Amino acid sequence: MTALRGFRVVEIAEGVAGEYCGKLLADFGAELIKVERPGTGSPTRSMAPIVGSDAGPENSGLFAYLNTNKKSVVLDLASKAGLDTLHKLIATADVVIDDHDEDWLKNVGLTPAQAEHDHPSVIFCSITPFGHGAPAAWRNAKSINVFNASGWGYHSPTAADPSKPPLKGAGRFMADYEGAIDAALCIVSSLYWRTHSNQGQFVDISQMEVLVSRADCVVGRMITGEAEANDLRTAYDMGGPHGFFRCADGFVYLMVTNRKHWLGLCKLMGNPEWSKSFDENWLEFGATLEKVVEFRKHFAAWLLAAKKDEVSETAQRLDVPLVPVNNATDVQRSPQFVFREYFQRVTHPVLGEALYPTVPYKMSATPVKITSPAPLLGAHTATILDNRQAVGGAKAHA
Amino acid sequence: MLDAQVNGMPNTSRGGPLQGVRVLELTKVWAGPYAGKLLAFLGAEVIKVESNSNLDEMRAYGGVDINHAPYFLSINSEILSVQINMKTAEGLQLFRDMVAKSDIVINNIRPGAMERSGLGYEQLREIKRDIIAVSIKMFGNDGPLGHQTGYAPCFAALGGLNSLAGYEGGPPLGVNHRYGDSTVGAQAAYAAIVALMHRQRTGEGQFVDVSAVEGMSSMVGDSLFEQGLTGKSAVPDGNAHADMAPHGCYPCRDGTWLSIAVASDPEWHALCEGLDRADLAKDSRFMTRAQRYEHRSGLDEQLSELTKEQDVDALANHLRALGVAAFKSQSSVNLIGDQYLWGRDFFRFVSDNKEGARPILGAPWRMSKASASISRGAPDLGEHNAYVYREILGLSDEKLQELIGNRIVD
Repeated sequence: MTALRGFRVVEIAEGVAGEYCGKLLADFGAELIKVERPGTGSPTRSMAPIVGSDAGPENSGLFAYLNTNKKSVVLDLASKAGLDTLHKLIATADVVIDDHDEDWLKNVGLTPAQAEHDHPSVIFCSITPFGHGAPAAWRNAKSINVFNASGWGYHSPTAADPSKPPLKGAGRFMADYEGAIDAALCIVSSLYWRTHSNQGQFVDISQMEVLVSRADCVVGRMITGEAEANDLRTAYDMGGPHGFFRCADGFVYLMVTNRKHWLGLCKLMGNPEWSKSFDENWLEFGATLEKVVEFRKHFAAWLLAAKKDEVSETAQRLDVPLVPVNNATDVQRSPQFVFREYFQRVTHPVLGEALYPTVPYKMSATPVKITSPAPLLGAHTATILDNRQAVGGAKAHA
Repeated sequence: MLDAQVNGMPNTSRGGPLQGVRVLELTKVWAGPYAGKLLAFLGAEVIKVESNSNLDEMRAYGGVDINHAPYFLSINSEILSVQINMKTAEGLQLFRDMVAKSDIVINNIRPGAMERSGLGYEQLREIKRDIIAVSIKMFGNDGPLGHQTGYAPCFAALGGLNSLAGYEGGPPLGVNHRYGDSTVGAQAAYAAIVALMHRQRTGEGQFVDVSAVEGMSSMVGDSLFEQGLTGKSAVPDGNAHADMAPHGCYPCRDGTWLSIAVASDPEWHALCEGLDRADLAKDSRFMTRAQRYEHRSGLDEQLSELTKEQDVDALANHLRALGVAAFKSQSSVNLIGDQYLWGRDFFRFVSDNKEGARPILGAPWRMSKASASISRGAPDLGEHNAYVYREILGLSDEKLQELIGNRIVD
């Protein structure tokens, strides 16, 4: 069996953070019931990329990606009947995932206090930009805002040009995805705890704090004064000749830190004359800006004729951490991704067949598999709500 | 029967959802230790196996005192430390004895190193049938490129993440090169606890094989998927967002930046009002979201002109009061003085063997019932030798002294 089969999760979230968290649980076989509003369904059904000329609820590539292995139930939470049904559904659930703000939770009767009172054995997880208790005016923050509030934006890219704006990160949703990982971790930990405590609980995830935590060994030295906190865009950067280099067919990334790396690099380049002016231990003890600049100049010139995969593989055999900068096509073709079956071919009834990224962990006993494409809006309303066994039926027991 | 607690409770009760779970770590630098940190912050007893001859490099960075190295102290709160010289047969046997009393073993040492020490998954399984073995490697535990190694920015380059970050029309620049290790550690921690849950229900352990590169791919999974689905190349896109415009960072006075994200027409009108340029909302280039996205370059330029002389904090407050998502891009000095984070006890203090107390970054979650206490700072090397050898393995004090004398415990 898959690891979370038998657990029922009700996803009332309507954003990327909550939907990704739900996906992480659905990957492992949890029964994931997505509650959607009538008509348009989840707002992510309207988000890019919209494929095809028909801009209906089934045309979003984003929704298709985030909602594999889920069921869709349409409920009008603006009506009393809809709310009653939601609470009946939650009474059959093990987990509830949300990513609305606190006022929304109040309106549907699921503040932390209400949730614990009405559904004491359910694990509730709320993912919000700044956690519960944040000022009301902060609650509509988007991923780019949280990424910038957390310090990652200001310090991206590395060696930032202070005249150019901080970056949102890679893709559109870094704050959402990062928050979702810790949310899923807390949910499954809470389910484990419930097996011996028989209690549910309310988990409050702050996306901002998750992102700041991801820099613990940088910011953690700044709050002690061991490293200088300042207003430099480069305050997170490590010194040394790390970085992107152009080659014949794209870019490579080099990060070298010690004597072994340097000797390997020299060998890789055929021990050029200029390399002899560098001390064998310069990366550890003599990486001055001047040396770094000189190295980068020579190395960049040498690399121009190289092919990214070939030179990287040769370098790796010499213990040099040089890698190709892969684009999406490279990633899909990479023999290592193919070997690990990271992408899975899935057919969506409207969008057709495509390669879906799966998960970065191969599990020997409970492998992840996409068993169904993202649900059509309301596809499971009847079976879930009309089936007495589904609502009011037995819960999963560990 | 399957309860972790049969292994013997740790000597202090910290609470938390993972109380009673024992994790053994052979981890170095950041990704592995970060996984251990998250599990410890959830209440697990996490024991780091180290030795003088094979130290976590983080104990050496930024100082000469291995018990007071800033990097190490910043990641290893609530971690226990036990010394074993793994290069000796007797040391390896002690490690095996610890495996027999543990629930989860995490490693992020070089590809093949566990197997060479006779500690591959199958061998760990012979010691403890239901062990959960977690391997974190750059490219996974095996496969055609499984031998490759690198640091976090290498994961991000290989995984397709760094090729997306950069300015429109420019080369890949990547997210700050500190990014990556901790994310992979969190993904590994999640997979480990899913495996624990599975064991709790079935009695079955398993091998969890984490690829840091794929961890990075998963953070841009929608972009990788989109290119396959639509054929549109995923390239550096600055701060563009197909569903929001304006969406970016705008200069303010004194080198500061304000992030602004506008998701709807009413938010756009509010932004124009907040910048005292209600007329902009009527500009034919900027009427709809699609038009604003199409003309984003001109839009960003125009907005920058309006923000650049303003005070970032005042403007952020002003715009937020009008319903616009506007937040300062915080520098490191802003961050460490962030009163909201201090007020929530996210920045908090733990014990420190040398200085009494040390501020750290705490857990990013709040739990209503099963919170674990986070109060002990990172351990000195071997600080928990006595606990591990005497209470967990049941050795006598004489035996422990002998192991120390023979430099097995070193």
